[in-house]
Amino acid sequence: MLSTLELSPQTLDAEAPVRIAVKNLDFYYGEHKALKNVNLDFRDRHVTALIGPSGCGKSTLLRIFNRIYSLYPEQRAEGEILLDGRNIIGKDVDVNELRSRVGMVFQKPTPFPMSIYDNVAFGIRLYEKPPKSELDDRVEGALRRAALWDEVKDKLKSSGMGLSGGQQQRLCIARTIAQHPEVILFDEPTSALDPISTGKIEDLLEQLKSDFTIAIVTHNMQQAARISQYTAFMYLGEVIEFAPTNTIFMNPAKKQTQDYVTGRFG
Amino acid sequence: MTAATDMTRIPGAAPAARKTPKAGFDLAFRNASFAAALFVLVLLAGIMISMVIGGWPAFREFGLGFITSSVWDTQNEQYGAWPAIVGTLATALIALVIGVPLSLGIAVYLTQLAPPWFKKPVGTAIELLAAVPSIIYGMWGLFVFVPLFAAYVQIPLSNLVEGMPIVGTVLYARSPSGLGIFTAGFILAFMIIPFIASITRDMLEQIPSVLRESAYGIGATTWEVVRHVLVPQAGVSIIGAIMLGLGRALGETMAVTFVVGNANRLSPSLLDPGSTIASRIANEFNEALGLQLNALIALGCILFFVTFVVLVIARLLVSRVKRY
Repeated sequence: MLSTLELSPQTLDAEAPVRIAVKNLDFYYGEHKALKNVNLDFRDRHVTALIGPSGCGKSTLLRIFNRIYSLYPEQRAEGEILLDGRNIIGKDVDVNELRSRVGMVFQKPTPFPMSIYDNVAFGIRLYEKPPKSELDDRVEGALRRAALWDEVKDKLKSSGMGLSGGQQQRLCIARTIAQHPEVILFDEPTSALDPISTGKIEDLLEQLKSDFTIAIVTHNMQQAARISQYTAFMYLGEVIEFAPTNTIFMNPAKKQTQDYVTGRFG
Repeated sequence: MTAATDMTRIPGAAPAARKTPKAGFDLAFRNASFAAALFVLVLLAGIMISMVIGGWPAFREFGLGFITSSVWDTQNEQYGAWPAIVGTLATALIALVIGVPLSLGIAVYLTQLAPPWFKKPVGTAIELLAAVPSIIYGMWGLFVFVPLFAAYVQIPLSNLVEGMPIVGTVLYARSPSGLGIFTAGFILAFMIIPFIASITRDMLEQIPSVLRESAYGIGATTWEVVRHVLVPQAGVSIIGAIMLGLGRALGETMAVTFVVGNANRLSPSLLDPGSTIASRIANEFNEALGLQLNALIALGCILFFVTFVVLVIARLLVSRVKRY
C-alpha cells in the first residue's frame, strides 16, 4: 500500500529557520472548540502539508495564519502564532498588512471581476504605486512564475472570468505572488480541478518553495506525499503527529496516522 | 442496475385502490388555469388600447406640441404636458440622487459589516418601510416635513442665495411654503430606498463568500473589497435595482400629490411648487370633461410608456446577475 505512494525526493533542510511557530493554539467557532492545543513549526522555504479527515480542523488552522477568521465576529483564537517572532493573533496587528505578507489561495478559483492584468495588478496597487513600466514587469513576472504567461499574454485586457478553471487558479496564484508575500497558504487548491490542471499546480508548488514558505491543506494523500517536506496529521482538532513527510508516510509513530495514510479510515 | 432500483421501488402490496379520476375534470382544470393566465394578457392589452383611444384626441389636436408645450389652460382648452413631464423626471432624479447612496450604504453595511444582532432588526425595518402605504408618506411629508423644511431650509436658503447667479434661480423659493419639486423628490427617496436596498442586499449576498475572503485575503480594506470586487461582481443587477426604484418614483401619485405643490406653471427653481404627471391626473380627473379628459389620458399614456420602458430595462438587468 505504502509503496504505491510516490514520494518526492526529499530536499529537507533540518536547519532551516522556523518561519511560523504555532504555540498552544485553541480556536473556537462560538462555543465549539475546533482546535485544541495545536503546536507546529513551519520552516522557511519548505512545503508543510496538513492532512486529516474532513472536519479535523486543518482548513481552520490555515485560515488563522492570515486572520481571515477575523471577518467573522463569532470566531476567535487563543494562544500564539509567531510569524518571524511576532504574534499575529494579537489585537494590535494590522491585518491588511499581515495579509499582504501571508497570501492565500482557495479551494475554488476566485478571479476578481476585472481584466487578467488588473487581477494581478490589484494586490500590488493596494500597497504601492509603481510606475506603469514597473507594474507591467511585475505583472508579467508573476504570470510567468505562475506558468500562465504564454497562455494569456495576448489577452491581458480580457476578463479573468473567461479563463478555464485551472487557468483561473494559476491566475489567483499569480495574483498572490505578485505581492511578494513571505508565506503562501493553499487551501485544497486542486480540489476543484481536473488531473492535468492539478499536475500543473503541483509543478508550480515545487518551484515556488524556493522563494516562499508554503502551507497546504489537502485531502489527497498522494499529493501531500509528492509535494511536501513536512506533514502534520490532524484529527478532531488536534495534531496527532507532525514529522518529515517521509516519516509520516513510511514509518509513522502513531497507529492512527498509519491507519489514515494507508486508507483504513478517513 | 435500473432493474434493481425499480425492484426496490415496487412495494410488496399494490397501493390502495383509487377511484378512477374523471377525465373531464383535469381538462377543465387545465383550461381554467390557462384562462387565468390569459386574463393577464387581455387585461394589459385592454388597458393599453383604451389609454391610446382615450388620449388620441389630445395627441391629434396638439400633435408633438402636446409634449413640448408648457400651457395648461382649461378655459381655452390648451394643453401641454411639458411641466408635468419635467416635474416627473426632476422628482424622480432627486429621489435617486438622495436614495441610491443611502440604499447602497444600507446594503453594504448589512451584508458586510453588521453584527448579526443588528442585521435582523434593520433588515426587518427595511421590509416594513416598503410596506408603509404611500398616503402615510404623503401625510408625514405634508404635516411634519413640509413645515420644518420651510422654516429651517427654504427660507434661510432663499435669503442666502438671492441674487446669486444660477443657484439664485435654481435654489430660490418664490413662495417658501415647504411644498415643491424638491420636497416631493425627498419624500420619494424614502419610498424607493426599501426596494433598492433590499434587492442590492440580496445581490451582494449571492456572491460566494470565498470571493470576498480572497479579496480580503490579499490585504484589501472593506472599501476596496466593496468598490473593486463586490459591486462589480453584482454589477448590472445593482443598476437594475435602481431602475426598479426609478419606476416606482416615476409613477408614485399620492405622496407626491400631497407635497409637490400642484402648480401648473414650470418654475426654474427646485424649491418652487410644480407638478408631476401622476399628481396632475390625480388633481384634475374628477372634474375633467371633453378635451381635458383626453389630455389627462394622454398624459397617462406618456407615463405608462416611460415606466414600462424603465421596468423592462430593470428586469433585464436584474436577471443578468453573474453566478458562479
